[in-house]
Amino acid sequence: MSNLLEITLGIMTAMGGFVDMSELVFTAQAGARFLYALIWVIVLGTIIIIVFGEMSGRVAAISKQPVFNLMRQRLGLKFGLIVLVAASIVNLITCAAEIGGIGIVMQLGLGIPYRLATCLATIALIATVWFLPFKAIERIFGLLGLFMIAFIVAAAAIHPPWNEVVAGLLPNIPAHLSGNLLLTYAYFVVAIISAVVFPYETYFYSAGAIEEHWSKKDLMVNRLTTIVGFILGSLLAISILINAAVLFAPRHIDPQMVGTSAMEVAIPFGKVGLGFALLGMFFAISGAAIETCLCVAYGPCQFFGWKWGRYVRPSEAPRFTLLWIASFVLANLIVLTGVDPLNLVEWAVVSAILVIPFSYLPLLLVANDRKYMGEHVNGKIANFCGIGSFAIVVVAAIAALPLYFLTSGGQQ
Amino acid sequence: MTPDASLKLVGEVRDLQIVDADGTHCGIADELEFEGDPGKKLKVRAILVGPGAYQFRLPKWIFSIFKRAFGDASVTIPWNEVAHITGRITLKRPGGAYGLLKAEKRYAQIVRRIPFA
Repeated sequence: MSNLLEITLGIMTAMGGFVDMSELVFTAQAGARFLYALIWVIVLGTIIIIVFGEMSGRVAAISKQPVFNLMRQRLGLKFGLIVLVAASIVNLITCAAEIGGIGIVMQLGLGIPYRLATCLATIALIATVWFLPFKAIERIFGLLGLFMIAFIVAAAAIHPPWNEVVAGLLPNIPAHLSGNLLLTYAYFVVAIISAVVFPYETYFYSAGAIEEHWSKKDLMVNRLTTIVGFILGSLLAISILINAAVLFAPRHIDPQMVGTSAMEVAIPFGKVGLGFALLGMFFAISGAAIETCLCVAYGPCQFFGWKWGRYVRPSEAPRFTLLWIASFVLANLIVLTGVDPLNLVEWAVVSAILVIPFSYLPLLLVANDRKYMGEHVNGKIANFCGIGSFAIVVVAAIAALPLYFLTSGGQQ
Repeated sequence: MTPDASLKLVGEVRDLQIVDADGTHCGIADELEFEGDPGKKLKVRAILVGPGAYQFRLPKWIFSIFKRAFGDASVTIPWNEVAHITGRITLKRPGGAYGLLKAEKRYAQIVRRIPFA
């Protein structure tokens, strides 16, 4: 019974923690601009994150090696160092974007000035990570992020054209698109893949598996959490896109602000809906802020072999502690410069896709190494999915920068 | 895997996490030191841990940044102090016995000054 509860909580946590700023921004914009045509990209991204999430959990449980440790071992010190620096910058920008998002939600919900809200949020997040153990942080924010289910309820209530929704599940390019619009569509394909498979999710998941001392007996939990949890989480992202297609597209509203997404629930359900949407967004984005910030600290600690983790007192993993505190402070300072959180999200998404292949390659190599993985080495299906997913993220990474510049960050 | 087994050293030992007898993370196997003469069997003498071991692994300009930030000290752990090797290298004794974990202790003093530490 306790095992069943553990699995259920794990799945619900994965679901509640699936959506962050980047998905809120890009899926809402995708729905408003291209209706249901980009749903298949969320599905594709979900398959990729399931494949690599499962692999990272399995590798952590069997070989006890977290992602940045694998990076160094498999990519070598020099190249690994370049990837570490790049990944840390991406994680820091993402953390800043999430803190900016929390500031906007607090401003909308409580009427607190934006900059004061981000400072209060940063202090609250630091206190949360300082006082709560890893599992409590993961569970609290993941489960409270389930307020986001309001977006799914809204999608059902506004009666979208389900035949068009189902058609959007299959890869397609709308016939009327050409020239710049086609490039923008391609940019959104890359951006949504990046937003769904953000590298910090794998870093955090793998670190969590080690913090919780996963072993062979946890492999089933790992598989169920990644497959069921991420599929349910992707329903949240799909519902945000559907709501935007139904509510924003006909009115030519381009949801440039994260707050606009909350209107998706407010329109059908009024103030109560708005409250649920803002609460869901607050906890989902806060959870992502904590995860990205911890990942900034995981990076150097795992790469250089320093003690890390929230399973020990802060003074027992001192460099890790100082790094995550500094990350929160730095991320908030970035926000306080006045940079638009939407720009931060765009930079984070475009730069993340460049780092993703180099984060996933070491995982794929170790998951195929029988010396480390024994009987839990990748099978044929895992390899087919792994190599296929890797090829997709490589293509997306190559296309990301040219598409970003050609479309001025999807604004054309 | 035991330390006297045949190992692909660079691929399988260098850059592995080191943990001491208490399970504490003590750094990474940053470099390996060998002994032997031409025509004779090559053996690992020790593992080097610390930024000083990066001297011949990183371009000079990157190493100079490391040197300024973290110093150029390195700790030598005799190979016979390795208990076993899996996805990590486990040592026979606590890290302090080899001179490891000094930086951790320094940083711990800073963290202890933070309220509620």
